[in-house]
Amino acid sequence: MMAFIPPRLRKPAVIAAAGVLFGAAWLVRGGPLWWISIPALIAAPARAIFLYWGGGQDTDAGALAASHADERQQLLSLRSRALACNLAVIAAFIGLTAAIAVKAAWWWPFLVILGIAGLGYLLGLLNYGVTEAGTPDDVDTRHQTRSPVNS
Amino acid sequence: MVEEEGRGDLRASHADREQAIEMLKTAFTQERLAKDEFEVRVGQAFAARTHAQLAVVTADIPAPPIPDQPPSISRVREQRTRREISQAELAEALGVSRQTVISIEGGRYLPSLPLAFAIARFFDLTVDKMFDPEEEEAGA
Repeated sequence: MMAFIPPRLRKPAVIAAAGVLFGAAWLVRGGPLWWISIPALIAAPARAIFLYWGGGQDTDAGALAASHADERQQLLSLRSRALACNLAVIAAFIGLTAAIAVKAAWWWPFLVILGIAGLGYLLGLLNYGVTEAGTPDDVDTRHQTRSPVNS
Repeated sequence: MVEEEGRGDLRASHADREQAIEMLKTAFTQERLAKDEFEVRVGQAFAARTHAQLAVVTADIPAPPIPDQPPSISRVREQRTRREISQAELAEALGVSRQTVISIEGGRYLPSLPLAFAIARFFDLTVDKMFDPEEEEAGA
């Protein structure tokens, strides 16, 4: 679906859609806090416009915002997301242990976050090549390669 | 000082003249040159047409200290400046950002193999010549 959206509009569109969903959730929930949907619905397009403007800047952040990052910028983004994920897992672990210690009933969301992170990590290992280790070529050819230094 | 080996007869660019004049300015502020001598040499630098003529103007001035920056393992900056290509032009030709060219030149980013080959092809060099200066120095 993203392929049909121009690159510079992709991230702003996602941010706007997420913001609208968040605001709509507060609106549907109703009650005395329904007004939270108003700033949420205002902030989402504002953030999307800011991202669109940022996408026109000649910077690393601009390239990432406009979804036309080169290999170094993608690596920067990947490392940043990995760091964010590590911090989220540490925070979830601290939350879980604290909830257990004080016998709180809100321990399980932390466990869900940790579980999803663990599953995501395993999925990544499976997806990115751990199963492609294969067999060594010296086993295939029944030919023992020896290091010239040791032979 | 401005002249590089084998470039003496080559025509000097505006950037070369600016570089020589910067050296003269530095020498003047360090009181290596008197004011009248500085003015004469700046005039000579502006009038210089070749690297050899520029070299005469700065011949008795010590080279500026090398800026404190991480050592680069690539010759991208050297090749690019030699061919008078801007970072933006090189970036556009390689399909990467200007910031990535700056990072590669500064030694802060090692390009992937495909990008390294693209850079080498752009400069009509091999990857080992482009990214292993020690190899060329040893063979020289």
